[in-house]
Amino acid sequence: MIRVVTLDELDPADLAFLTRSLYRAFGLGSELAGRKPRPPAEERSGRLDAVALLREVAPIRTFADDKVLYLTTAPLSLPPGPLGEPPCWGFADYGKERALVSTARLPPRGTSEASIDAYRQRLARESIHAIGHLWDLHHCVDSRCAMHPSWSPTLPASPEMDLCAFCREKSERKIRLAKT
Amino acid sequence: MRGPPPRHPDEPREQLPPVEGFIADAADLEPGVRVVYPNQGVCRVIGLEEKDISGVKLQLVRMQREEDGAAVLVPRNKVANIGLRRVATGRQIEGVFHYLAAQFADPELDWKVRHRDNADRLVAGGVLGLAEVVKGLHSLSRLRPLPTKEREQYDNARHLLVHEVAVALNTPPGLAEDYIDYALMPPPGVKFDVPPPPAPVALPSRPRRRKPAAEEGDLGDLGLGDLGIDLDLDAAAEPPAEGAEGGEAAEEGAEAAKAPADEAKTPEKETEDKDERPVKKSAARPKALKKPAPHRPAKKPAKKPEKPARPRSETPREKTAKKPAPKAGKRGGKKK
Repeated sequence: MIRVVTLDELDPADLAFLTRSLYRAFGLGSELAGRKPRPPAEERSGRLDAVALLREVAPIRTFADDKVLYLTTAPLSLPPGPLGEPPCWGFADYGKERALVSTARLPPRGTSEASIDAYRQRLARESIHAIGHLWDLHHCVDSRCAMHPSWSPTLPASPEMDLCAFCREKSERKIRLAKT
Repeated sequence: MRGPPPRHPDEPREQLPPVEGFIADAADLEPGVRVVYPNQGVCRVIGLEEKDISGVKLQLVRMQREEDGAAVLVPRNKVANIGLRRVATGRQIEGVFHYLAAQFADPELDWKVRHRDNADRLVAGGVLGLAEVVKGLHSLSRLRPLPTKEREQYDNARHLLVHEVAVALNTPPGLAEDYIDYALMPPPGVKFDVPPPPAPVALPSRPRRRKPAAEEGDLGDLGLGDLGIDLDLDAAAEPPAEGAEGGEAAEEGAEAAKAPADEAKTPEKETEDKDERPVKKSAARPKALKKPAPHRPAKKPAKKPEKPARPRSETPREKTAKKPAPKAGKRGGKKK
């Protein structure tokens, strides 16, 4: 089961679209699990440290193999690496149970139907990407796959929110082998 | 930057220096030490234990894979052979990132060579070998989609690299993967000013394929002519730059090699040859008509020789000459 928890105010219609997309991508039940307060995480130039935020966020009740997706509107940052700081759309504990996605880098939601659609699709794509990491998926070389890095220069302007055949098979295999 | 070099052709495996951090002695494996098991990932040494297996007492090093807690048991005397090494140091990781960030536009295009070399890099190449596999296959994937086997190999290499970088930098694997892909596919407008990457991993040489006996020995004795194979090409393949004598010798060799082949030629040809060597041909002629392969040697060529270029006009004629052979002379040939 994938449980979606919000840390900030988000539109219920967007969340409904997101849970449907997660169900379609992984074939797992997906539901909203309420809202939690955003913890006062360490800030770096006005952005919250994603790793610290995910570590400090309040847990929710889960069962074995449940995956929890936290959504926030706050901009996130990652600790700088050997070549600098990669752009941050979200962060996931690889192979574990918690992931975090921010809407700060998504295209503006706007009010038109097209802009709302683009926003929802990108939110779903980033969420599928984060949940994919929880199911042991690595970044993919296929730019049409949801597991392709979000900052890649080959990523199309409005990327699709589906997994490629390889990633889908791998995630299905992992899900089949899960305890529950 | 060019891609990793091809396999070193002459240097035997023993002469190549071991990968940095290679563990050759089981005494180095103290409890709590983190090591990298090739193709398995980062493991933590638990300790030494003795087990009775099929009546044999074995000393085993017990390790635990960090990723999933799986138990790994290695016989103490095999430690030097399995390629265990220490987790990459900061300097090695720096080299890996410089390698990943360097421009790379020269992937190996021969899939057999690529797959074999990548498999060797994963086992014996250390952390830089992992980076080479990831970088090479990633750049190849920009040219064309990876085949399934290589897609899996890419995923395995990435998995091992992510976990080793995560352990070396003491970060979560998710963050380590972001660092790796930030170097591998920087966002638009980002350019890294990195020093030249470290020298690529030298791969051990593979044993050369042994030439089959048919290629080494005298081809004329193998009855290749009976199979309808013209050996002119072999003679012509000899280096022609040896002067007139060398050229003549080559021609003689070609004629000598051609002699057995003449017997399998078309009937028209045989009538021409008959005038030159009447005695031999009179005996050989009926056989040639009945059976196209009268001089079948006891020894068969080890490998089917390459079909030489032959004028197209000869092929159908030869087929017509061969066709009656099984009807008329197959039985007699078997008796002989």
